[in-house]
Amino acid sequence: MTSLGQLTLDSDTASSLLPETVMLVGLITIVLIPNLGDAKFRIPLTSVRVPVLLGGSRFDMTNDPRMPNRISNITFLVAFLSSLVLISESPREVGGVLMADGFSRIFSTMFLGALLLVSVATTHRIPAKTKAPIPDDSDSKAAIDRKISVLIDNRRQVDFYILLIMVGLGMSMMTMATNLFMMIVCIELASLSTYVLVAFHKESPAGGEAGAKYFIVGSVASAIGIYGMSLLYLWSGSLDLDVLRESWQAMDGVDPFAAFGIGMMLVAFGFKVSAAPFHLAAPDAYSGAASPISGLLATASKAMGFVALFRVLVIITVPEGAEALWMVALGIFAVVTMTWGNLAALTSENPKRMLAYSSVAHAGYMLAAIAVVGSGISSTEESVVILTAVTFHLAVLVLFKLGAFLVITHLETEGKGHSIDHLHGLGNRDPMIAGSMFLFVLSLAGVPPLSGFLSKLLMINGIVSTSASTGSSDTSDIATWAESVDPLFWLAAAIVLNSALSLFYYLRIGLVMFFEEPVSSKPLKAAPSLRMSIFACAILTLLCGVGPVSEWLLDLVNGAIDSFMHQ
Amino acid sequence: MGENKSELGLLVYILPFLAVTPALFAMGWESYEASILIVAVPFMTFPVILIVGQLYNGEEFWKNKMKEGGILALGALGASLSAALWLVYDYVDALPNFDEQQSVTQWLEWVSFDLLQSDYTLTSGSKILGMGVWIDSITLMILFVATFLCFLICWFSLGYMNTDPINEDRNHRFYGEFVLFALGMFGMVLADNFLWLFIFWEVMGLCSYLLIGFYYWKDSAAYASKKAFLTTRVGDVFLMIGLFILYDIYGSLEFSVIFHDPSLNGTVDSGKLFWALLMMFIGAVGKSAQFPLHVWLPDAMEGPTPVSALIHAATMVNAGLYLVARMVPFVDVGHHGVSGLEDLGLIIAYIGGITAFMAAAIAFVQNDIKKVLAYSTMSQLAYIFTGLGSALWFYNNDEHHAAVVVFGSSMFHLFNHAMAKGMLFMASGSVIHEVHHAHDHLHHENGNGNGHDFDPQDMRNMGGLASKMPVTATAMMFGSMSIIGIPLIGGFWSKEGIIAETWLAALEHEPLMYGPAILVLLTAGMTGFYMSRMWFMTFAGEPKSEVVEHIHEETQWIKMPLVVLTAITAFGGFAFALLGATDYLSSAYDYSGHLKLHKSTLLESILYKLEYAFLPEKINLRIVGWVTIFLSFIVGPVLAARIHGGKLADGESSTPFVSWLVSASSKFGKQDVSSLAESDLSVALQNRLYFDDLYEGVLARTVIPFSQFTAWFDRNVIDGLVKQIETKSVSGSVQVRGLTTGSARDYILMATVGMLSIITLLWGMNS
Repeated sequence: MTSLGQLTLDSDTASSLLPETVMLVGLITIVLIPNLGDAKFRIPLTSVRVPVLLGGSRFDMTNDPRMPNRISNITFLVAFLSSLVLISESPREVGGVLMADGFSRIFSTMFLGALLLVSVATTHRIPAKTKAPIPDDSDSKAAIDRKISVLIDNRRQVDFYILLIMVGLGMSMMTMATNLFMMIVCIELASLSTYVLVAFHKESPAGGEAGAKYFIVGSVASAIGIYGMSLLYLWSGSLDLDVLRESWQAMDGVDPFAAFGIGMMLVAFGFKVSAAPFHLAAPDAYSGAASPISGLLATASKAMGFVALFRVLVIITVPEGAEALWMVALGIFAVVTMTWGNLAALTSENPKRMLAYSSVAHAGYMLAAIAVVGSGISSTEESVVILTAVTFHLAVLVLFKLGAFLVITHLETEGKGHSIDHLHGLGNRDPMIAGSMFLFVLSLAGVPPLSGFLSKLLMINGIVSTSASTGSSDTSDIATWAESVDPLFWLAAAIVLNSALSLFYYLRIGLVMFFEEPVSSKPLKAAPSLRMSIFACAILTLLCGVGPVSEWLLDLVNGAIDSFMHQ
Repeated sequence: MGENKSELGLLVYILPFLAVTPALFAMGWESYEASILIVAVPFMTFPVILIVGQLYNGEEFWKNKMKEGGILALGALGASLSAALWLVYDYVDALPNFDEQQSVTQWLEWVSFDLLQSDYTLTSGSKILGMGVWIDSITLMILFVATFLCFLICWFSLGYMNTDPINEDRNHRFYGEFVLFALGMFGMVLADNFLWLFIFWEVMGLCSYLLIGFYYWKDSAAYASKKAFLTTRVGDVFLMIGLFILYDIYGSLEFSVIFHDPSLNGTVDSGKLFWALLMMFIGAVGKSAQFPLHVWLPDAMEGPTPVSALIHAATMVNAGLYLVARMVPFVDVGHHGVSGLEDLGLIIAYIGGITAFMAAAIAFVQNDIKKVLAYSTMSQLAYIFTGLGSALWFYNNDEHHAAVVVFGSSMFHLFNHAMAKGMLFMASGSVIHEVHHAHDHLHHENGNGNGHDFDPQDMRNMGGLASKMPVTATAMMFGSMSIIGIPLIGGFWSKEGIIAETWLAALEHEPLMYGPAILVLLTAGMTGFYMSRMWFMTFAGEPKSEVVEHIHEETQWIKMPLVVLTAITAFGGFAFALLGATDYLSSAYDYSGHLKLHKSTLLESILYKLEYAFLPEKINLRIVGWVTIFLSFIVGPVLAARIHGGKLADGESSTPFVSWLVSASSKFGKQDVSSLAESDLSVALQNRLYFDDLYEGVLARTVIPFSQFTAWFDRNVIDGLVKQIETKSVSGSVQVRGLTTGSARDYILMATVGMLSIITLLWGMNS
């Protein structure tokens, strides 16, 4: 095992790790600030009191319960922007285990963008109240409960955002890891924080249960993955990706350690991307967690799993021009995953569960695309196209999947959102929000000209253009062609059929929003920054589907994937 | 009345639209680059009108300042008009040579949907759906006619539509669809390939359906809109087949590719091309309401009157003519055309001749003022088809000179007819509007508010309106004269050419041409009759109902378009004839003419033109010419005057423009035709020669049983299949969700199963 190296924070390292540094600073600030007060330290034996600022009675400003949220927003904003800027920087290796390049920065930008949206949205989901009265004996039981819940919300603001920044730190470090050990540590840093975030509403039974289940299944998956990693270590003697890659290429036949190791790691990453049958805890977790957190799981957390898959499957184990070991397994699991997800979503009455299953289905689509990369029939250029499509899909997923969860968040601010009935008549109550939601589900379904269409089109196009040419060139007889074409072609067919199936539940959202009677005639609660994030998502969903913005983003992703494949 | 305050101040709102073209000019754009605006501005405006109209329906600003979208529509059409005028100004005298046209369209690439390129996307470099503009004299002329008339008609609508309470809070729909309709026409004329031409063609088809059915709650309007849609659809299917064949022959639908050498160095099979062109012609027949697909046009009068003006003068019906005019390169044997297509010309000429005669005959007995105009439109368009048919025949026989004359005349007649008919419809709208108002007013006063059996479009309720509506009467007089072809006015200059050259073809070349030649000659006389009849019934004689007493010509917005078009109708024909419009318009395929005087001075040119018109060199043409004039100028109007003419009521007088005509109409005596009116022929004509019954009978025996069968098939087989899939999916969904038990133990079990299957697959596949 190569040593983890010496991490020294010189200025070059700091600048190429700027987003992480920002988050570290944010983390320290968010811990410190609420504790600032007028405490003084009396120098012993004298009466001189030196202000130490930590402790004592808090200042008005630092005591403000909205403070953690603000710090978190600013931290994520700065981190997001600095990560965006760093995408086009030249690759830089840090400490032998991290590699800050375009590929990692594309993903960290994606994660930080998602976290920024989550952080902003939570302003209204777990609101902080500056005036929180203390309950007294004259209050009724209900009033006491209400007041206590406000006080609890105020108290745990800081916990929530600390966890959120930890998630960000773990995820963005994870994208850079070039060493499996480092990668697992970062994934666990992010995952453990998300487990707590899922269970954050511990006073509600659903939240606690969801968090516990998610944690138990997640830790089993992690354990299996780490066990697989140790098998790889046994086999190769190193966990460095490059070394593993060389060993893999030098391998004669298939070494059982290597195959078992890869297979077990697939389980861990399969859990992260919520591929069937490892996804079962996901719908429970999504519906139990606060919606912004569910959105985070469905986008950033899933993308993190895909980064790991990219690293392990594409870098370590893709033999040049031959079928990869895992190709058939991945293809089968992709089809099972997308069908399972879509079928289960079909009758879900809880929009959060529906979105969770839809997220499972989307994982299936992307796994299918990755399976084609491993088929050995795709040239490097075609692989770049396909992986670009997958990455682009992950990036725009942040917009419309998280956007959809943010709309549910808006409903949750009035205690609703866990049943499709609560979406009834949203078009009357709030046409803008309902319109955005409709845009999001259409994009999830892949309707042009939205970004979900473009990414799905690129994926299917990648699969088809790679595999269709394998068919018999005698075009006069479609049956012969169908027999002779590479089975991978049918992955594209499966995606198309599944998309058709999925339209049913996506469009149903539109139907109930615009054609059913509203559940209440009251307008939605005011939530300005939440609305702003929703509209930003909606506009970007549109812009990333067609026009210059989509081209810019595609270029960016394409450049990153290109360098990733040619490193 | 308070609302008589002038509303012209509202025009300030259209100024931003009108500023677009000058702004682009100032930015250094070329007119062909700006030609995209002609379509783009209306395209961006129509959804705004519809959406804003839906949101702010009935609010003060929208209703009174925006005229429920009318001002926006006017602005958009004004922007189109200004861009079109710029294009006309730039190219009217500087048209590229037809053979060089290819290069022109290539600069003018508007939109080109290249397939997504570069290495991460679809790779294929070829242009699949490009659209450019094709500019020649025909484009310029029809574009001018369409933009100009659409603008005026929109202006007229501000008065016509917005003052009628029945339209209240619905007008945004009218204006939105109107603008979409107009842009369909503009785009069709500008398109540089048949695919885009077809797309815009269908946009118009859709809008005609929507607009004819504007009063959709009336059964008759709903029926009429369906009829128009389905009838034109029959034509459109044939047009599509024609385009398929064309694509099969040439591998492209771009004008620049096809027109460059339609014979492909002599390799094109004339039989195949004949079928392609014939199918396309059937499409044109549907769109331009020619026999036998003419049945929809009279019913289309169910739409609001501006729609009638829009469809029947400015836009849609001209589309068919435009399509046929685009067939010239295929048959022009002097310019790489394919020989052996004379039959096409003959068929077109026959269809034209038959329609012209039949429509004129039906127009004899119509009492609804708009229906007379509708049949007149059919008849006049048929003239143009006859002319185009002869032109194609001449082109295909390399009779170049005659071909050029008759083609130019046909296109010129399109111009004259569009101007006159646009105005006539607006004038009839003005009459209907005022009669309707007067009727409402009257019944309001008398208190017997029930006036359902009163038809404001029925000319039997009118009479003597010349004194009440002088502007309208003058406009209609000039319009009718232009349609009739009274010497020196409007349509005379073009109709003469069509009739004379058709006769030329019959006399000197092809005896089969006698059919259409005789039919169009007779029709000239019949036109004289039915147009005069309409005018006399409406404006001359004593009032035939008490309503007439209460008519005032006072609605705003209505007069201006009438006045402008009266001037163009009265003098435009002569002016353009002097400038050599026939030569110019035929120059599209044979570059020769500029718009300029024939001789060096104006007087000489006038004399030359008069001589050319009245005393042509060939003696048989001279005879045909004078017979035409005699029939249309003397026989028709005098007969009409004997039956329907008469003095105004005592004490009424009108402007000198029309009073001479009224008094002249009383000079020819009186003839009673009530016995004629009950003859079998008259009854048959009133029933439109039973075409509708025939079609309905045939449809009831063929299409309806078939559609009942397909309905059954759809309900039981297709829906049944879908239902099966649905129930299976739902039960599958329930089963799959059953696996999500909610117990972490089960989840781990499943994960283990998953792990084992992964390892089995990895290991099993590789050892």
